[in-house]
Amino acid sequence: MNQFIRYFFFLLILLSTQHIKAQGKFTINGVIKDASNGETLIGATVYIKELKNGATTNEYGFYSLTLPEGSYTIDFSYVGFELIAQSVTLDKNTQLNMELKPEASQLEEVVVQAELEQANVQNLEMSTNKLEMKTILKIPTLLGEADVFRSLLLLPGVSTVGEGASGFNVRGGSVGQNLVLLDEAPVYNSSHLFGFFSVFNPDAVKDVKLYKGAVPSRYGGRLASLLDVRMKEGNSKKFEATGGVGTIFSRLAIEAPIIKDKASFIVAARRSYIDVLARPFVPLLKEGGALNFYDLTMKANYNINRKNRIYLSGYFGRDVFMFDKNQGFSWGNTTSTVRWNHLFNERLFSNTTFVYSKYDYKLQFGDDDRNRFNWNSSISNFIFKPQFTYFINSDNELNFGADMIYYTFEPANAVGISNGNSVDVSLERKYNLETALYIGNSQKVSDLLSIDYGLRFSYFQSFGPGTVYTYNDTVPGQRRYPVSEKIYKRSESIATYNNFEPRVSFKVQASPTSSVKGSYNRMAQYLHLISNTTASNPLDVWNPSSKNIKPEIGDQYTLGYFKDIGEKRQYEISVETYLRNTQNQVDYIDGADLLINQFLEGDLLSGRGRAYGLETYFQKKTGRLTGWVSYTLGKTELQVEGINRGQWYDTRYNQTHNLKVTGFYDINERWSVSSNFVYTSGTPTTFPTSRYSIQGILVPYNANDSRNNVKLPDYHRLDVSFRLEGRKVKHGKPRKNTDYWVFSVYNLYARKNPFSIYFSQKDDRVPTGQPIESQATQLSIIGTVVPSVSYNFKF
Amino acid sequence: MKFTTTLFTFSFRALLLLISSNAFIACEDIISPTLEKANPVLAVDAWINNKNETQVVRLTETQPYFENTVPGGVSGATVNIVDNEGRNYFFAEDFNKAGDYVWTPPTSSVVFGKTGNAYQLNIQLPTGEVFTATSYMGRVPVIDSVTLTFEPKNAIQPDSYIAEFWATEVPGSGDTYWIKAFKNGVLLNKPEEINIAFDAGFSAGGNFDGVTFITPKRRGVNPNDVDADDKAISPYQPGDSLNVEIHSLTVEAFNYMNEVVIQTNRPGGFSELFASPIANVSTNIFNVNKSGPSAVGFFTVSAVSAKGKRFDK
Repeated sequence: MNQFIRYFFFLLILLSTQHIKAQGKFTINGVIKDASNGETLIGATVYIKELKNGATTNEYGFYSLTLPEGSYTIDFSYVGFELIAQSVTLDKNTQLNMELKPEASQLEEVVVQAELEQANVQNLEMSTNKLEMKTILKIPTLLGEADVFRSLLLLPGVSTVGEGASGFNVRGGSVGQNLVLLDEAPVYNSSHLFGFFSVFNPDAVKDVKLYKGAVPSRYGGRLASLLDVRMKEGNSKKFEATGGVGTIFSRLAIEAPIIKDKASFIVAARRSYIDVLARPFVPLLKEGGALNFYDLTMKANYNINRKNRIYLSGYFGRDVFMFDKNQGFSWGNTTSTVRWNHLFNERLFSNTTFVYSKYDYKLQFGDDDRNRFNWNSSISNFIFKPQFTYFINSDNELNFGADMIYYTFEPANAVGISNGNSVDVSLERKYNLETALYIGNSQKVSDLLSIDYGLRFSYFQSFGPGTVYTYNDTVPGQRRYPVSEKIYKRSESIATYNNFEPRVSFKVQASPTSSVKGSYNRMAQYLHLISNTTASNPLDVWNPSSKNIKPEIGDQYTLGYFKDIGEKRQYEISVETYLRNTQNQVDYIDGADLLINQFLEGDLLSGRGRAYGLETYFQKKTGRLTGWVSYTLGKTELQVEGINRGQWYDTRYNQTHNLKVTGFYDINERWSVSSNFVYTSGTPTTFPTSRYSIQGILVPYNANDSRNNVKLPDYHRLDVSFRLEGRKVKHGKPRKNTDYWVFSVYNLYARKNPFSIYFSQKDDRVPTGQPIESQATQLSIIGTVVPSVSYNFKF
Repeated sequence: MKFTTTLFTFSFRALLLLISSNAFIACEDIISPTLEKANPVLAVDAWINNKNETQVVRLTETQPYFENTVPGGVSGATVNIVDNEGRNYFFAEDFNKAGDYVWTPPTSSVVFGKTGNAYQLNIQLPTGEVFTATSYMGRVPVIDSVTLTFEPKNAIQPDSYIAEFWATEVPGSGDTYWIKAFKNGVLLNKPEEINIAFDAGFSAGGNFDGVTFITPKRRGVNPNDVDADDKAISPYQPGDSLNVEIHSLTVEAFNYMNEVVIQTNRPGGFSELFASPIANVSTNIFNVNKSGPSAVGFFTVSAVSAKGKRFDK
């Protein structure tokens, strides 16, 4: 490790002090912004017409190009913005910042140059999806709340096991195999109200990007995907307030310059308010009960000078369910991020991030001081992340840097008081350090071939104080009991793991409108989300790798074909295949006890997984009618000794077919309609074959010892929403404010989509010797039409 | 862990109460799916205790899940239980009830077994297959008293008479129990009413050793009943009787019952979000011939302590 760090600093010093004055070459760099509010644009294109080559801006809106001396016409463009063509005579290093104006109307069929150059087909990236906030705001959703997650579910390769499940599944990965980052801070539970809403306030989100594969070497830590959510910086031009009143939330966001064009902030808050309205009528609420969820998102940035900019961002959100003053539970995330962008020289860009983030939940019950139970659990981390980009020339972009994460896990800080006797049932904290060094280069080899290659070295250590148990060997699938324990002192190393994670991807430009891309990725995951319930939920526990739990390793291969069609290239088609093999995937013995169990590791099993599939995507990008069709054919399986007779079985989130159709249509200047239709195969579940009774209790039994042996009925749903723009003109004068109404209907034809089917005996007490009646019940979390209306404004 | 399930059930009731107006309505339908076919296997229900009454080992076969009949008994087997002191208890088949093998204490002062002894159950089927299981009789604490408290109605329950038993758990970690309650002579045996304890708490990790049984355990002797409108009713009324029995379990039997509760206590609705998928519960009945057919069910020998009371009118 030390040697790596030495090389790392050597490289850094070399590049920061190097002013390669290559013969007659100069650098042009700068930041591209939205002219209307000063927000930097991520992924905007800088295209040199003469060289038929260019660059895109990074997560901070920055670009840098080193070119031979000469005169150039440079196109600056971004989807939904007017293109600017600028003539530049490059005879010295030049800084050129640009502000692009949003397009006025999309009613006419215009295809701007920007879209041509930013098309997927030209881009080296594959297996990534970027969702524009504009699109997210138009997608019909449950109760009319625009939502990042619900929108992601419409993309190829992304699925869920149903309404009520927290999180999402990507390419056959589990919910815990997604890394969700909010301004670089990990969010450990990204759902409000059991997955119905995500924790991201759409008013404060600027950019959402999902990496399903071909993940660059600068990211790591999870096997299935990375969701990179970037918050707005806040309007640096003028004061702006946005907000809305919906069926479930009311929202307000305020943004304004602190120093015009130099510093700005945004504060955005949301709260569910149904409990406030219902308080007079519901006894539970009058007596101290609570039911609400809220979040607060804040960010400020200061552009110190040409070379330095700092950002502060924070998030705080919580869900609270109390059925009286003293009893109930709550959970929430807190994140705070400090980032510093620094330009060492024209070509060496750096960002240094410090993060503190925490997820915790609390449960309490018992209504008097002599008899009560309190339980807190949390995962918190400190992160230090220096990242560097060296823009070598217009054909090479070198990324390198490091990640350091210090975790503290508190599985249970719990005290029970029984008849006045207090018993501490807390579990030991766990301390871990995850570090990684990475380097990667994105290289345009020729007009035909581009490649991205990189290596990440990750290292994980768990250290004391702590107790490590050794478990007995038994038949796989049976609970293992501790046979010995070893106590470690503070800072003493308990277990270490390391992995080299190569990342390679390529693009072959078959023609200007078609390309073939492929990739290979190795990812290592050192944290495991422990959950054996039907769907992921807020009480799921994160557990670090340890002496008894090995890190999960995933190898993913992808191959895809991308094509633009149409005279104006208004259609895009892509087909991608993927295969991911995983090792050391965690599963559970039957009857595992996962909550407040100091011998939890004795209930865990580990096995291997494989997931493969085909994703097809067709999109119409411009015109009055836009939208996409996404179809995924997939399979995801596990093989674990001790489960399903040791044979491969489908995971709970396996979906053979997954079809999504999303459409947007502008009826006229004021009315627009959007709709989506979802059809997915039912997810697997286990049915019993037989029954027997023990002491008058009916016990289900699967004589074949199988897991996930049947499929639930298929899931399908149609949603529609209408949007009415407020009048642009009032009393003959243009209005300063804008507003709009959204009328939406979720599950239009009231399909009762099954969440689960469970088997039970009828609710009667059965005297011994009498027959016991058994039944199967199908549960639909949302079994009806859900209409809603919301009003949104901006001034 | 059952307390979390209980808590969520409450929370979700609260949740539903609040947002039902928003059509957030979960919906349940009884369905009749087709199940995979399976061959029957031997099912053993052998819960022996030291009460002065006839002890039964019941042998049946597993049935298709939706076959709502009393399963037929397995006749003609030879059943006995031996202890570590060489005592042999022979269980003879009941001529009135095929598949029931019984041992009756010879006098009113004799009971089955002795606390601390180990036991082995042997079953030889007419087919020649031999099954065995082992257990031991654990210790059991004395119940001090059984009480009834009135609680005026609140947001989640009506005016209620709540019963509780009071006992201090035996010091020394690792004792496990099944607390059975009989209301007016009827055993409360709905899956949600199964009340098992690891020491005085929920599970091994709990460390509630040698203290008064914790509240959910003490109060686990209340029936969970609703009226015709599906509203909770007071568990007891003055004049009702309650008899509480604590049966000692082996840790294996506790784990088994814990699994049975996970598999059978399905209150449905939103609590399904927190439910574990169906899985086979364990067994301690093994075929002597490892490649022979397997069996399901459980054998355990319990010591019992009891206390009863009729609540004053």
